[in-house]
Amino acid sequence: MKKIRVLLVDDEIVIREGFKKLFDWEAHDCEVVGEAADGMEALTKIDALLPDLVIMDINIPIMNGLKVIQMSRIKHPDMAFVIVSGYDDFSYCREALRLQITDYILKPVDYEEFGACIDHLKIAIFEKQKMEQADEEGEHTIVGIVRYMQEHLNEEISLNILAEEFHLSAQYISQLFKNEIGVNFLSYLTNIRIEQAKKLLLSTDYAVAEIAEKSGYGDYRVFTKAFKKAEGVTPSQYRRTFLEE
Amino acid sequence: MLRMEIALILVIAFIAYVYLGAERKHTLLHRTFSVLLVALLVHLAFDGITIYTVNHLDTVPALLNEIVHRIFIGSMVFIVYLFYKYIAVLVEEETGKARSLDLAAKVFLAAAEIGVFVSEIAYIQTPDGNYSAGPYVAASYASVVFYLLLCAGLLLSNWEQIHPKKRFVIGIAMMIEGIICVLQGTHPTWLISGMGLTLMTLAFYLTLENPEILRAELTEQKMSMLYLKSQVNPHFLYNTLDAIRIQAQLDGDKKVADLIMKLVDFFRSSVKVNEPMITLDEEMEMIMAYLELMCYRYPKLHVSYDIDETLFEYPVPNFILQPIVENSLLHGLKNKGYQGEIHISAHKTVSGIEVCVKDSGSGFDEGKKERIEEMLLHYDREMKLEGNSIGVVNVQKRIKLLCGKEYGLHYTENTDGGLTAHLLLGEGS
Repeated sequence: MKKIRVLLVDDEIVIREGFKKLFDWEAHDCEVVGEAADGMEALTKIDALLPDLVIMDINIPIMNGLKVIQMSRIKHPDMAFVIVSGYDDFSYCREALRLQITDYILKPVDYEEFGACIDHLKIAIFEKQKMEQADEEGEHTIVGIVRYMQEHLNEEISLNILAEEFHLSAQYISQLFKNEIGVNFLSYLTNIRIEQAKKLLLSTDYAVAEIAEKSGYGDYRVFTKAFKKAEGVTPSQYRRTFLEE
Repeated sequence: MLRMEIALILVIAFIAYVYLGAERKHTLLHRTFSVLLVALLVHLAFDGITIYTVNHLDTVPALLNEIVHRIFIGSMVFIVYLFYKYIAVLVEEETGKARSLDLAAKVFLAAAEIGVFVSEIAYIQTPDGNYSAGPYVAASYASVVFYLLLCAGLLLSNWEQIHPKKRFVIGIAMMIEGIICVLQGTHPTWLISGMGLTLMTLAFYLTLENPEILRAELTEQKMSMLYLKSQVNPHFLYNTLDAIRIQAQLDGDKKVADLIMKLVDFFRSSVKVNEPMITLDEEMEMIMAYLELMCYRYPKLHVSYDIDETLFEYPVPNFILQPIVENSLLHGLKNKGYQGEIHISAHKTVSGIEVCVKDSGSGFDEGKKERIEEMLLHYDREMKLEGNSIGVVNVQKRIKLLCGKEYGLHYTENTDGGLTAHLLLGEGS
């Protein structure tokens, strides 16, 4: 799998150092190719290094992070951005989401959990590739598997069930996820379930328990916990914050 | 006439007694009002005295009559000046602009007072009663006109920035002064100047200076100090702590990094003070961060939780658990060398939820149970509270306010030692 090239943007050197050294980039198929300390430098480095992913602080000198993303978007529509912000403020978050960013995380960053963010990015990249390959003839096994998962989201899905359905070994499928998408099966499953829940929370007025069920969580509590772990807020809070505007 | 003066003196004396005895912020505005009250009392006294002496010109020595009259008018000029000053300070507080007319006002005051004490005085005798006249009286009318103009200027040039209520009060007071002045000028025997000044003072007293308002101001000041203390640019706090955390982790000290992370979590959730209600889950997260830090400091402290997870989204008043837990720690477990347990549980009740904080501490001291129960029962009374009880009563107040009177906080004693705080909460209105 091709390595994901990362640019770090933060005006505080210790935070960039932390990112560089405290997160195991290697294990997540990433490499840090550059750093920038302000908005102008970020723009220049983005153009020069063409990273796959920019990890961006919002509150940086000269030009704020959101502006940098806005300007880079024009030239590099495929570039992925993850916003890191000390502003515990969803108004930034909303604006950021309009810029089609991959993820939004709040400081203090827990480096052990930052892997989830990279997984999220890998899945996004995979989904995009999947769309592009859709019209090519001959379908990859993995595409068939994830389509099956998408279609059976409200049911129980496990490696064993998939193995039976696709007449492959569970281990092989597990390996397939690792090789083709770069994340393990469970991360992928959780990810698409949470995405489904988010979509339902914002586009329907189903009760949270109902959404839990439709996203494949038999138990309401398990769902709330998983959702909070992934998004930092509970499902109802998520819905409230985004629909409040 | 004398009877009216006596009534006015009694009213102002009563107000002065209440006002000067009340707790208040020591601002220039309130000091000016205190001086005004005292000056007005003196003025009213001399007003009464002159009413007597001017009608007994044959028996009262001429010099004495002259002195009391000059003090009477002199104090009136001074009071009119104080009204100006009060209004000027009020406008300054509202707009933040410095008082630029003070020098002119003071110079005029000095000139008017000299005028009052040196110029000629005459007594007019009429069947309706006698009164004093002559150039010295002109000083009082001149000062009313002069200071009224100054105040009108202040009011009109800062109209937009002055709170409507204060605009109203200033306007009313000026109107009273103007009307009384005209009436007194056209009907010299009415002798109503003292009444005019009393009415103006009353206007300010009833609206801006009454003890309830003063106390509210004082409380607000105390609160905002507390608020400021906890809010000193929180972003600075998080960002610095975060930098320290990362450095610790870079240096390989994971333990310190984790602790700082908890501290940041705690601070971040505890400064969301502008939201009166948060979810139980958010409240729990904060108290868990807090207790984790406490457990690190006191390793013999053990904490357990039993929260009904379907209640995660339940709205609760913000920051109600920390004061209760702190109380358990400081008054229960500290005595046992911070050795023991805290158990926090939450479950549904018929009309809401109940959150319990159970500790294995030393329980109530002698007489403490009654004191706490008394405090929690009469949470809305003004009382002297010390130390941690402020926090506990504050929790009670906020639950009653935000959830409803039927909810609240009470303590029970555990059979196996220690106390349990029961917080009964509801969704409120």
